Amino acid sequence: MPTAFPLPSDLSPATVTNTASLLRIVALSLISGAAIASRLFAVINFESIIHEFDPWFNYRATRVLASKGFYEFWNWFDPTAWYPLGRVVGGTVYPGLMATSGVIYNFLHALNLPVDIRNICVMLAPGFSALTAWATYMFTKELKDESAGLLAAAFIGIVPGYISRSVAGSYDNEAIAIFLLMFTFFCWIKALKLGSALFGTLAAVFYFYMVAAWGGYVFITNMIPLHGLVLILMGRFSSRLYVAYSSWYAIGTLSSMQVPFVGFQPVSTSEHMAALGVFGLLQIVAFTQLVRSHVSSKQFQDLLFLALVTVGLLGFVGVVGLTYKGVIAPWTGRFYSLWDTGYAKKHIPIIASVSEHQPTAWPSFFMDLQFLIFLFPAGVVLCFHQLRDEHVFVIIYAAMASYFAGVMVRLMLTLTPVVCVASAVAFSSLLDTYLDAAEPAEAADDASETASASGSNSGSKKAKKATASAATPGSALGDIVAAATPAKKGEKVKGIFGLDTRLAIIVNAFGMLAFFVFHCTWATANAYSSPSVVLASTNPDGSQHIIDDFREAYYWLRQNTPETAVVMSWWDYGYQIAGMADRPTLVDNNTWNNTHIATVGKAMSSSEEVAYPILRKHDVDYVLVIFGGLLGYSGDDINKFLWMVRIAQGVWPEEIQEPNYFTPQGEYRVDDKASTAMKNSLMYKMSYYRFAELFGGGQATDRVRQQQVPKIGPTLDYLDEAYTTENWIVRIYEVRKEDLLGRDLKSANAFAKGKKRKRSKPVSRRRAIVN
Amino acid sequence: MVRWCGLSLLSFTLSALADSFANTAIVRSIELGGSLVQVTTTFAAKALEANSKVYTVALSDAEKQTSSWLEARVKGQAKQLQIVDRGADSNGVHLLDISLPQPLALNASINIVLETIQTHATHPWPERASQQDPQGLKYKADLLVLSPYHTAVQRTKIRAPSPSIHSYTTPENVGDFTLDAPVTKSGATVTYGPYNNVAASANEQFVSKHQQPVFVHYDYEYPVLQVPKLKRAAEISHWGANLNIQDDIHLRNAGPALKGHFSRLEHQSQTFYKRSAPHVIPGLTLHLPAGIRNTYFYDLNGNVSTSRLRTAPSVPKEAQTSQYSLLELKPRYPIMGGWNYTFTLGWDSPLADSASVDKATGKYIVQVPVWTPIPASVVNEAEVKIILPEGATDVEFATPFPVVSSSLSTHTTYLDTIGRPAITLHFKDLTERHAQPIFVTYNVPLSAHLKKPIAVAVAFFSVFAFALVTRRIDLRIHKN
Repeated sequence: MPTAFPLPSDLSPATVTNTASLLRIVALSLISGAAIASRLFAVINFESIIHEFDPWFNYRATRVLASKGFYEFWNWFDPTAWYPLGRVVGGTVYPGLMATSGVIYNFLHALNLPVDIRNICVMLAPGFSALTAWATYMFTKELKDESAGLLAAAFIGIVPGYISRSVAGSYDNEAIAIFLLMFTFFCWIKALKLGSALFGTLAAVFYFYMVAAWGGYVFITNMIPLHGLVLILMGRFSSRLYVAYSSWYAIGTLSSMQVPFVGFQPVSTSEHMAALGVFGLLQIVAFTQLVRSHVSSKQFQDLLFLALVTVGLLGFVGVVGLTYKGVIAPWTGRFYSLWDTGYAKKHIPIIASVSEHQPTAWPSFFMDLQFLIFLFPAGVVLCFHQLRDEHVFVIIYAAMASYFAGVMVRLMLTLTPVVCVASAVAFSSLLDTYLDAAEPAEAADDASETASASGSNSGSKKAKKATASAATPGSALGDIVAAATPAKKGEKVKGIFGLDTRLAIIVNAFGMLAFFVFHCTWATANAYSSPSVVLASTNPDGSQHIIDDFREAYYWLRQNTPETAVVMSWWDYGYQIAGMADRPTLVDNNTWNNTHIATVGKAMSSSEEVAYPILRKHDVDYVLVIFGGLLGYSGDDINKFLWMVRIAQGVWPEEIQEPNYFTPQGEYRVDDKASTAMKNSLMYKMSYYRFAELFGGGQATDRVRQQQVPKIGPTLDYLDEAYTTENWIVRIYEVRKEDLLGRDLKSANAFAKGKKRKRSKPVSRRRAIVN
Repeated sequence: MVRWCGLSLLSFTLSALADSFANTAIVRSIELGGSLVQVTTTFAAKALEANSKVYTVALSDAEKQTSSWLEARVKGQAKQLQIVDRGADSNGVHLLDISLPQPLALNASINIVLETIQTHATHPWPERASQQDPQGLKYKADLLVLSPYHTAVQRTKIRAPSPSIHSYTTPENVGDFTLDAPVTKSGATVTYGPYNNVAASANEQFVSKHQQPVFVHYDYEYPVLQVPKLKRAAEISHWGANLNIQDDIHLRNAGPALKGHFSRLEHQSQTFYKRSAPHVIPGLTLHLPAGIRNTYFYDLNGNVSTSRLRTAPSVPKEAQTSQYSLLELKPRYPIMGGWNYTFTLGWDSPLADSASVDKATGKYIVQVPVWTPIPASVVNEAEVKIILPEGATDVEFATPFPVVSSSLSTHTTYLDTIGRPAITLHFKDLTERHAQPIFVTYNVPLSAHLKKPIAVAVAFFSVFAFALVTRRIDLRIHKN
């Protein structure tokens, strides 16, 4: 057999296998190392710190778990959250993440390795990303072969779409969930392939872990039944499917019901009904198969098929009926918003107000996946080419995840693994084809001659182009398909001839890989490695300047206010205040009580007189606002203010109306032209209180909104400025207590300043305080 | 003179004392400060008996409580004299016996200097001050210096850090001792006395008749620093040749509490015009040892990135240099009056700089400073934990001054099998003068040194052995 380049012939097969095995282990460990290392930008640039918002709650809960033990954590009622309601943390949390850290913590301490719990939490996501790489390798190996598996592992190890959720310090459920997702899918495919109850059970166990770790487990709950259903419809029912699905569903569902937060949902909500339905369908199909194996009558089979469809339809109608009657809970709002992107904005502003729930912008696909997004369809097509059971799975997964990723930014995360897998399949098919030294058996002389002739005649660049076009009649994909299938007899032999053809493709391919690595490093370093608790800017001399206003304010609260002081802020900062300042908060990022949040929104968007009774009724001692106007920090509360207004309007449509906060021209302004409602709102006053004075008579400019703030700033009668951070990002106000003489605070303030009291007004004001 | 009131046994001792010396002059000068007040009392004494070896000084109960540092010297000599505390008597007077360097002949005279540092002797007055207000402190002292001997003349000079003294007490009923003005003020100094012919005063009768408090209310232009709690952990590692010191510090501004609220605007304009209020702590400058590395400064919310460190190269243990690393430490927020700030400060230093081997016994000697002083501050409670290498035996320690309590425990950390012995010492009211080394001696046998590599080797080999065995065990039920 002719080869394009010499191959060593004196190697025994055993040596080749052993070397390949060793190389695989080395490659996998290097991939794990790269996966962990590329997530450490945040630690190196900043420090070992918990990022963003939700991780602070997870970290706080983990600390409780580590210090007080599992049972204490399980029964933990947190009176400081959602003051005065409190929160049953043990029953409203996915404990998988905390339990994982707790187990690692206790294990290390048992070995006399007293690692700080914070460092475990910070490093958990990078550690699990290495495991994800391994799980993806196993998954892809089942799909194609080891080399595709290694490519997939390398892709998922450094792809920004996954790094965005798993940098060091991003201590969130997703950190471990993607590993569990991939490993559950691997176990499922393995179980399906082998018809193995063991792997089915393993899939169930990891499914349980996933249920305990992330709300996104519903994705698995629907993916596996969908796969099963499609296989049945394709006429691929087999005892392997029956064993795998039944063992997974029975054990998985029972164990998932042990998680308190999930409870009886697997048998009572719509999201889980598909799994139950497919389980029932499988039993019927299996029964049919059994009957058919005993009775061989064509008509009987038809009858059974009819019965099957009838029962299936009846079951479906039954589920719908039960849903209407209320036995089965209908789809939740978050799920509706998956089908109708405008749903949340209309009905649940809280969900819509979260930036990661917005539909994905097109550029972010390239940002998060780079060249994988082009290879992904090719890989899916290659799956059609073979179409074993597991390929069907990948095709369904690809279709579903693509849709979801388009609907919601954060679901990009579930798309990323399948993109890596499919791209790896495509890429490794390409490499397989072009790295294979074998030349087509009946080499068509003229084809190879033209290729080599053009290669020798023209310049190297042109030659590459020419050979590339010569080697790819039609499309590259068609060529791969052609190369993968043996050429039929009688036709003109297709294939790859010569070394230059191969080199052209391979150099290109490796170029793509190299650019991918550069892109991943760049995206990770620049876009995804900011803790957002700590901001960084650059000094004129190029050194890094840390802006640490958040921790400054939280630490001040922690050290210099009474431990029971209730802090009101917008819900974004609830977890951070609980975690870093250790003070009770009214609302936090667990947005379970819309009314409570709307109350805060109302207090923030009403005038002082209206807000004050609300504050006093909720025992609020301090109000915290984020103000970026001095520094140009755009994620501040004035920019979020319209959401507060909208959410408050949802509950009190008579009192708060969004249009009042715009100018008559419909602009959102904070300068002289700002609307009266805007200027009187507590949020506006707290943000700009004494801000203009900072400019010492000059024109005060809000750097976020690029507007000129009025020279005479707002005054506060019911609140006192308690603390403002170095760059004015966090401003804390203390709520005044009622005046000792029974006056309302406004007139008491006016009296203290020596102003003359107006005759007409105080009477009505006094009445206001009585209410 | 005092002999007629000899009703109790104590009076006999007093009367016996009264004979041995007579004070020709006592001069007490008090340097007012924030947390610390330095009192230097010079006793010019004449021996009335031959062979007098012990000179006794008296402190009132309150004075003894506040005096956290006490040392006596012969004037002009560097050597400290031994002081024995006789404890409080029923009159609320503490007697301290100072052993003289050599016995005095009859009518020989000697000048003894008693230096004390008082902590918690001042308090802010007014108790609350807003951001622009000056900071006033009030100091209380006793008018007369007590002594068990007859004193010919005595005076007290109180020196404030600036001439702006708001008020001071004018003592009354001192006609027995002086006919001039009982108190004079010139510049920043308030002088009480001279008071002549003061009888032996360390007894209740005199105290109740003549002693009276005097107050000085003065301006203080620096923040009043207090460390309510300091926890120091010093970990000695022979394998790493490292002495790690970590301080958990609770810092408090003991000046007047902030009146009203903190205004960042005012603070920023004050800082801009360089006329910051005296009772704001914007930062601290600490002198850390030379040769330190891996210095860290964090608090409960993580690293504090607003500090600068200039390290000096390591100096050998015996070298008499005054090199130090300079740490400009800036807390997260300016510490206003009454505010707290807790933080952790730690560093690694070469063990060779503070350890040596006693050639005679083969024991290691390590010196660990009691604390690294924060200038002009007082530590109310300090806990120093010295963690020795694993397997250290014959542990002994010597402190430069008495401890409140001490205990031994076991501390387990990385790669330990049986844990390390740890000494925990408690101190109170530490000042800059207390920053002296604690000496710890111990033995580490070779077997203890080898414990760590053996433990690690065993752990790795057991993993390999486990893998070795599992590869060779077949648990399948059906052999294919």
